[in-house]
Amino acid sequence: MKNIILKNRYTLLVTVLTVYIVVLVIEGSITGRQAQVLNFENPFFDLNIKDLDGLRERRA
Amino acid sequence: MNKFHLLQFRALLKREMLEHRNLFIVAPVILAGLVLLFSVWAMTRMGQDLISVGIEYMALLFNGLSPLEMAPIFMFLAIPFIGVFYLCAIIYLMNSLYQDRQELSILFWQSMPVSNLNTVLSKLVTIGIVAPLFYIATMFVLYVIAMLWLTILGWSYDIEVAGLGYMFLAAVASLIFVYLSIITTTLWLLPTIGWVILFSAFAKRTPIMWAIGVFILVGFLEEFIFGTQFLGNFVESRSTPTQYLILDFQDVVERLINYDMLFGILVGSILLAGAVYMRRFID
Repeated sequence: MKNIILKNRYTLLVTVLTVYIVVLVIEGSITGRQAQVLNFENPFFDLNIKDLDGLRERRA
Repeated sequence: MNKFHLLQFRALLKREMLEHRNLFIVAPVILAGLVLLFSVWAMTRMGQDLISVGIEYMALLFNGLSPLEMAPIFMFLAIPFIGVFYLCAIIYLMNSLYQDRQELSILFWQSMPVSNLNTVLSKLVTIGIVAPLFYIATMFVLYVIAMLWLTILGWSYDIEVAGLGYMFLAAVASLIFVYLSIITTTLWLLPTIGWVILFSAFAKRTPIMWAIGVFILVGFLEEFIFGTQFLGNFVESRSTPTQYLILDFQDVVERLINYDMLFGILVGSILLAGAVYMRRFID
């Protein structure tokens, strides 16, 4: 296994990034971290790109 | 860790500072010179009455106030220095391991009794602890010059300048907060630092393009494979300055020991470990 991971720089990079992303996804799932693409709250207007339907309804 | 390892690590830190003195010593000195030059120019544009009223107002305003309570206000003065430091830090992190391979100095360092782990750690300690000291020292000298200047002006206009002493103490206390904030920021942004160092060790050319490009690609792959956006959300959740700025000594423990900080250190360590192993591959 170690030989495969350390075969060349690309296999090592893919392994590191895989471990990184898997840890992030597991932690996100356990803690219930909500995925938000862009939620920009300010005193003047609300912008949440995940909620485009809501935006259309408010504009209508 | 015995004395030999400490000396070895100290030599690595010294090497980093000597090789990158433009980023960590010359840059803050030039910025301080520019700030001083601008201040002199601004003062010459002001009338004598305005200057004397300004000094008297500052001396009265700060007289008897607690320097620690006033210190956060003076942190705003450090913003240009912090901005330049972050810019230099990104340039340094992006180039440090990449440059070693480009110049082939990696071959020399790998022939020395220095491990790849120590080399990567020395980059981290340089950016988080050693380099900020030079920025803080430069700001301190700037504050001393400004203080002397205001005092001399105050005396020449026959103004009571005792309050300026409190102002100076507040400015010095703000430097301690700035330094602690930089250390906290380094730990808080360890995933970002680890990412940049990993691609600095990986890329054959243009490490910045690799770092940005792969980040976008991994974000798309996460969405495609897992149907989640935790990578984007993770980055977004760590990008508010109030999460790592220290405005009071009580903030230190709160900022350093919390779940998000420790998880960030864990994730950053995965990427740094990758960078350490990546040093095995030399072009």
